[in-house]
Amino acid sequence: MTGHRFRWSRFWAYALLLLGTVFYLGPFLWQLRSSILPLSGVFAYPVVWWPEEPQWKNYLDIFAIIPFGTYYFNTVFLVVWNIVGTLISNVCIAFALARIPFKGRNVLFALSIGTLMIPTAVTMIPTYIEWSWLGGLNSFWPLIVPSFFGNAFFIFLLVQFFRSIPREYDEAAFVDGAGYPQILLKLIVPMAQPAIAVVVIFTFLNTWNDFMGPLFYLNDSKLFTLALGLKSLLSSYNSYWHLLMAGATLVSLPLIIVFFFAQKSFIEGLTAGGIKG
Amino acid sequence: MTFRKDSLWGWLFCLPLALGLTIWVAFPLGVAVVMSLFQWNMISPAVFIGLGNFDFMFFKDHLFWNSLWVMFYYTLLSVPLQLVTAFGLALMLNTKVKGMGVFRTIFYLPSLIPVIVSTALWMWLFNPQYGLFNLFLDAVGLPTQEWLTNPDMVIPSLVLMSLWSVGNIVIIFLAGLQGIPKELEEAVTVDGGGAWHRLRHVILPFMSPVIFYNLVMGVIAGLQIFTQPYIMTNGGPANASLTYVLHLYKQAFQFSKMGYANALALILLILTMVLSLIVFKSSNRWVYYEGDKK
Amino acid sequence: MKKGFAVVAALVLQVCFIVAGLSAENIKLSFMFWGSPAEDTAIRKALKDFEAANPGITVTPLFATYSGAEYDAKMKAMSESDTLPDVGYFGGQFYDYASNNFFLDMTPYVTKEGIKNDYLPQTWIMYQNKIVGAYTAAESQVVYYNKKVLQDAGVPLPPTDYAKSWTWAQYVDVWKKLTIDKNNKHPGEAGFDPKKVVRFGVNHEMWNQMLLPQVWSNGGDIFSADGKQILIDSPATIQVIQDFADLRNKYMVMSSPGLTEYNSTSKVDPKVLLQNGQIGFYVSGQWELLDFAGMDFPLGIGALPIHKNPAQLYVSGINVIFKATKNPDAAWKLQKWMMTPDKTLDLYSKGLWMPTKASWYTSKADLDKWVPTKAHPEGFKAAVLDSMKIARVMPPNVRNADQIWSEFINPELDLVWLGKQTAEQGMKKAADKIRKSGLLTGLWN
Repeated sequence: MTGHRFRWSRFWAYALLLLGTVFYLGPFLWQLRSSILPLSGVFAYPVVWWPEEPQWKNYLDIFAIIPFGTYYFNTVFLVVWNIVGTLISNVCIAFALARIPFKGRNVLFALSIGTLMIPTAVTMIPTYIEWSWLGGLNSFWPLIVPSFFGNAFFIFLLVQFFRSIPREYDEAAFVDGAGYPQILLKLIVPMAQPAIAVVVIFTFLNTWNDFMGPLFYLNDSKLFTLALGLKSLLSSYNSYWHLLMAGATLVSLPLIIVFFFAQKSFIEGLTAGGIKG
Repeated sequence: MTFRKDSLWGWLFCLPLALGLTIWVAFPLGVAVVMSLFQWNMISPAVFIGLGNFDFMFFKDHLFWNSLWVMFYYTLLSVPLQLVTAFGLALMLNTKVKGMGVFRTIFYLPSLIPVIVSTALWMWLFNPQYGLFNLFLDAVGLPTQEWLTNPDMVIPSLVLMSLWSVGNIVIIFLAGLQGIPKELEEAVTVDGGGAWHRLRHVILPFMSPVIFYNLVMGVIAGLQIFTQPYIMTNGGPANASLTYVLHLYKQAFQFSKMGYANALALILLILTMVLSLIVFKSSNRWVYYEGDKK
Repeated sequence: MKKGFAVVAALVLQVCFIVAGLSAENIKLSFMFWGSPAEDTAIRKALKDFEAANPGITVTPLFATYSGAEYDAKMKAMSESDTLPDVGYFGGQFYDYASNNFFLDMTPYVTKEGIKNDYLPQTWIMYQNKIVGAYTAAESQVVYYNKKVLQDAGVPLPPTDYAKSWTWAQYVDVWKKLTIDKNNKHPGEAGFDPKKVVRFGVNHEMWNQMLLPQVWSNGGDIFSADGKQILIDSPATIQVIQDFADLRNKYMVMSSPGLTEYNSTSKVDPKVLLQNGQIGFYVSGQWELLDFAGMDFPLGIGALPIHKNPAQLYVSGINVIFKATKNPDAAWKLQKWMMTPDKTLDLYSKGLWMPTKASWYTSKADLDKWVPTKAHPEGFKAAVLDSMKIARVMPPNVRNADQIWSEFINPELDLVWLGKQTAEQGMKKAADKIRKSGLLTGLWN
């Protein structure tokens, strides 16, 4: 009897997975086929499902039409610095909030969580004005500096994770004469690898794909990121769809590869972080 | 002695947070409040007009009410659908099917690509003449749709698109599902309960905190939707996709009404807080935390 | 010893002067502009040529792939951060900025060089009797078509004389003949399926200025000359709007909205559609010639349709020198360069721009420099060049015009294009709201 039920649920699982795959993967195949067609082929009718002679040179052309290499570099630059800033700030903050009993800790934590409810739209213009006073417009500063000040979501995640590490370790270390910094670096951080992996991956994704930040703060096309660079292919005058799709594939590929290999630890990190909290 | 030392370290480590809250949250909020009382186009000096911006907003700006409606319509439609879709996907991805890693990557794929790419792709899919969706509908004999070009269809189209990017929500649900103690599920099965029973009496209650979290985050995100209508329709056709934040952005950067934009931002803040509060209060009824007795 | 010292001192001073002279000459300018990638290439070349002719001045090109509202937003951001370019295109809200003293008064330079009358009168943009801008070029509307498509369909080619063109109705007739669905049926025939159209007769750009030639041709207008009245609900204007809407909804010779316009939701390039024969005609600006020149198909040019009288549009971005520039003399040199067809010939001979210098329309010697090129197909002179005699400008100095278009007129037009309301209903509604909005406050001057 159990066997029978088992099979039906398996069947439905496969069927739905298949349907889902079509819906979720389909557009990518469309993107891929469009990336190896000449522009005239992209809109041709009858529809060209797959070109007989794939135009792979689109992938080269894109570097000629827009400074794609520069955009790649800029984006990587931003990603690296954001990861640095995010790790340094959030790990320290979360450690303190989770492990150090000090006055005002709960208030700080509550305030931090509270900021999750503030729509970005509310602070975006005043922040923009702030940066104009600081002279940071048209530079990378506004896109890097904030990461050094903590992020409510990551703080939340890390705090939950740290709380799940037994206190005995700390106590033993104290007895041995260690101070907080040593506990953090030598004890907690090594144990928190999954959670830290989550933070790194999310930061990577968010920075790589960020559109609004660069849109606001970058004027000089030499500073543009991949997201803005791709948008520039969709101009008011000419939309180079075939190049855009090629560019899109180039931009997404690293992310897909990273995620495929990292997903196990990714989910582990989220689970162990006590999402239930 | 230890107390003072704790305090020292605590505040030292939390310095970035404290500073961050001041510089990036409190100060901008203050600026927003002050600016909302002025009229400023960034090139001439600011003019104090008291509550003038709010008067204009509520009584004269016909786009204000329009954009509020668009924002709520989108949120009310997309959030429940996203939660249901994501939950269903998470359930599916939690089964022991071969190649699960590949499937998980596939479903997370859309969240991995930059927003500009997914928007461009969907603009293409929605194309009434050459897009894949209409080609498909035509091929199976169904009537083709106007998607983004029809004011009545534009928000449902955007909602459909949002279902494609539920990857982040799925991941969080998945993590939550994996935290459900196996014994509980097995207990129900042994008792003769089927999948449905398992769902209702074990999975859902256990997942309710996670659902709650995703609901709150989903609502907050839904209220702020900007990039997709900005790139795809620029608020059209006939302002049918002019979401609140898009309206705000246009007022600030297209028409240079910085004071008014800040006033709009404050109203959004209040709305978000109110809605969050409502969801929080309601959570007492349906969210079970571990350690609660059922 | 003293003499030796004096010699050395003199030498050192000389060297200092030379060095100072050299570094004083190394001026850095920036030039901001928008356009297609082909335009980017053409402008960059012009700037490089300027640098070559003016050693000591370097120009950094700042290229924006977007125009309109996004460009304006960028300008604002730059003005906020004091990173404005020296010279560049300027978009909307021109007069807001002019009245806040953002632009350099070019009058002294123009007067000193005595070139004012060398240019078409519309070229100079005035504010309080000062020249604060100059139109980048003289651009107009053009009817493009795919010769092969027309020939294969057995349809007559349109006339090229702008004064003796087909009427709107005659054009519509031709467009009907060119529109075919999957089963080779034309609009109006039994069995025609508007959802299965394989080729549309025409794609007419519908952003605001593209509607003007027909509106003017019929005797209508948008704003009154004093900017205090809105005329969109005059019968003449309503008629034209309805005619445009009918292209889609009544005659079905044009695809549904959002398909192929600038800033549309799908950004399918009509030029490519024209090349593929998926549309028969394309009505847009004459700057498209630059890109068409690089596309391989038999391009034809026809004269604009006429409602009552021939009409033509003079449209262009405005070039300005920003007051914040640190090198006004050098900036003026750059601006003058960009206005001198002889120095920037490629921009004209390759089809992007038409000159603002008057003699380039009349003097055979000058005409020969830019017209007989691959970019200008047969019919260009008669249909486009000559029509500039009657070209009108959409006045840039109507207060709040941007906002009126964006918040009141365009949303109603959206509904008219979709067939959800008639032109009369839409325009009357819009006109009503505009009158009540308090935005009609006249002209900037």
